Amino acid sequence: MRVLVVEDDQVVGDAVQRALTLGGYAADHVETAERAKSALHAESFDLAIVDIGLPREDGLQLLRDLRRRGRNLPVLMLTARDGLSDRVNALDLGADDYLTKPFQVAELLARCRALVRRANGVASTEIAFGPLKLDLAHRQVTVRNEPLDVTRREWSVLECLVLNAGRVVSKEKLMSAVAGWHDELTPNAVEVYVSRLRTKLADAAVIRVIRGLGYRLDEPKS
Amino acid sequence: MDWATASTNLSPRRVWSVRRRLLALLVLPAFVVLLAGTVSDYYTSINPVRDAYDRALADSALAIAGYVRASPGDRLTLVLPEEAIRVLSSDAIDTIYFRVSGPDRALIAGDRDLPIARAAQSNPAFDTVTYRGAPTRIVSYRSVSPAGMVTTTVGETMNKRAVVRRQLLWAVLTADFVQLVAIMALVWVGVSLALRPLIALREQISGRSARELEPLSARTVPAEVRTLVDALNRLFRRIGESSRAQQQFLESATHQLRTPLAGIQAQLELLIAEEGEPAKRDRLGLALSAARRLSHTTQQLLALARSDHAAATYADFRTVDLAAVVEASVADHVSRAVAADVDLGAELQPATVHGIAWLLAEAVNNLVDNAITYTPAGGSITVRCGTNGATVFLEVVDTGVGIPAAERARVTERFYRGHRSQGEGSGLGLAIVADVARLHGAKLSITAGAAERGTCVRLELRRPI
Repeated sequence: MRVLVVEDDQVVGDAVQRALTLGGYAADHVETAERAKSALHAESFDLAIVDIGLPREDGLQLLRDLRRRGRNLPVLMLTARDGLSDRVNALDLGADDYLTKPFQVAELLARCRALVRRANGVASTEIAFGPLKLDLAHRQVTVRNEPLDVTRREWSVLECLVLNAGRVVSKEKLMSAVAGWHDELTPNAVEVYVSRLRTKLADAAVIRVIRGLGYRLDEPKS
Repeated sequence: MDWATASTNLSPRRVWSVRRRLLALLVLPAFVVLLAGTVSDYYTSINPVRDAYDRALADSALAIAGYVRASPGDRLTLVLPEEAIRVLSSDAIDTIYFRVSGPDRALIAGDRDLPIARAAQSNPAFDTVTYRGAPTRIVSYRSVSPAGMVTTTVGETMNKRAVVRRQLLWAVLTADFVQLVAIMALVWVGVSLALRPLIALREQISGRSARELEPLSARTVPAEVRTLVDALNRLFRRIGESSRAQQQFLESATHQLRTPLAGIQAQLELLIAEEGEPAKRDRLGLALSAARRLSHTTQQLLALARSDHAAATYADFRTVDLAAVVEASVADHVSRAVAADVDLGAELQPATVHGIAWLLAEAVNNLVDNAITYTPAGGSITVRCGTNGATVFLEVVDTGVGIPAAERARVTERFYRGHRSQGEGSGLGLAIVADVARLHGAKLSITAGAAERGTCVRLELRRPI
């Protein structure tokens, strides 16, 4: 896994690079958008972490440029500004996630893992989440290489949760993931699938109920 | 600051309104002029009438004088034909008297005691006397006969004249009163029309919020007020500029402070992860928690500065989906709540407000943050929002340690820290919430939570029209 860090601040850039190395990634650090472009042109990366407040050409411009060239590697934007408009702008321009400074290293790594996982889910047919492995092509789940028996609908719920691991997923989103052409689903049905999945997953993953908002899948505490 | 109160504050002395001034200045003089006109009209029309009656009376005197005969022996006698007597007594309204006297005022005929008008420059001479208890106009005509001077006096009560005078007075007064009313109406309408642009300007100003700094339209205001409007617009522009400058300064200050803080925190976290020696790791942990507190306080101070009236302008207000703001804030705090073993949840109903999204988010973040800090493990926190008639509410209820009733009024003061706070917290969280509430014209209330446990902080905002 190779990550490009685009951050003009030396201390932050160095910390992000070290954190990624600690997390098992190979990380390169550049300080300007121009250098980022030439690096991305020359080599292949699995993920980019881009600071919005870069000198001269800012992070949002770099992102726009990347997407215009058809580069679809996942991009995590970093910003020191608050305000939802930055967040909305970044996501509209095709950023995959957004993190505000100061951030916690653990949070940064979790976001990176989620982004890579989702990108892999699109590119390949297998996603890993802790001891879980999802084979997207054959709709099969294994826990520590032991196959887990799930129904078609439970599979859909699990797939949606794993692809959005670490984020709150609303019941509506899960409903639309489960619902087929002629299915009428109630929110209660989703609750039932989640509860069955919980039993089946046991300690392989934690599905949290966030009252009033939905569910969040977290890796088990190690 | 409200424009209406501002204007009254500036004029402690009671100053008449322009309308009142104009009305007073126009109507009072008009009334005086009309009154003078009435008096002059009356006198100019009463004189010819009096003259006409006088002339008729004089004619009677002349006619009677024509019937005075000097008999042989120079005795003077009046021989009035029946017809003349009838004419003299034919008046239904007034009583007519006459007296014909010879030399030495010796009575020849008529009423002996009828006064005689004193001889004046003119002949006949007129006078007004009281005769038999009534005001009487008399005329005395002096003629010379062979037997000496004959004075013929005719008197007439003044009833007819009084009637005519009254009629005349009424006519003049009525006409002038109608004129006065017409002038007052014209003045009223004219003043209203002339003041219309000023009233429109007043509506334009009072209809806006104090933070609304769009220039006033100077197109429809009269030239006299244009300089005032221009001055106001210059002031609005200056306030707007200084507020923008302050916003920009705070924004770049936020940016400049956060980046190095992020660097320090991340580096410390990494050092802790790499450090094998527990004693050193503990010290690095202390430094990290200090750095985190520093960023937290920095963030709060900057939010406080940016939520200030002087920095936030009406131009930043947008339609905000409060439910989405709450949802994002709660989702952001799930990890902290999980770590603290607190059940964090939300009950969201559609809620739209007019406000500044990131400041509302800052308020919700501070409330949820406080709730997690002051709710012991096993407790729960619920964030609610929704629309209730004309108000949109937001409330954060926890089962935590609560705020004693005596402290509730003070916890929104900056840097105030209650008895419950132990080391954590800067004492700024609720101050920010109070500031954001003030800026949005919202009502902030702090009470105990359900079953008198914990805390319930509630914001009530106006629902946008």
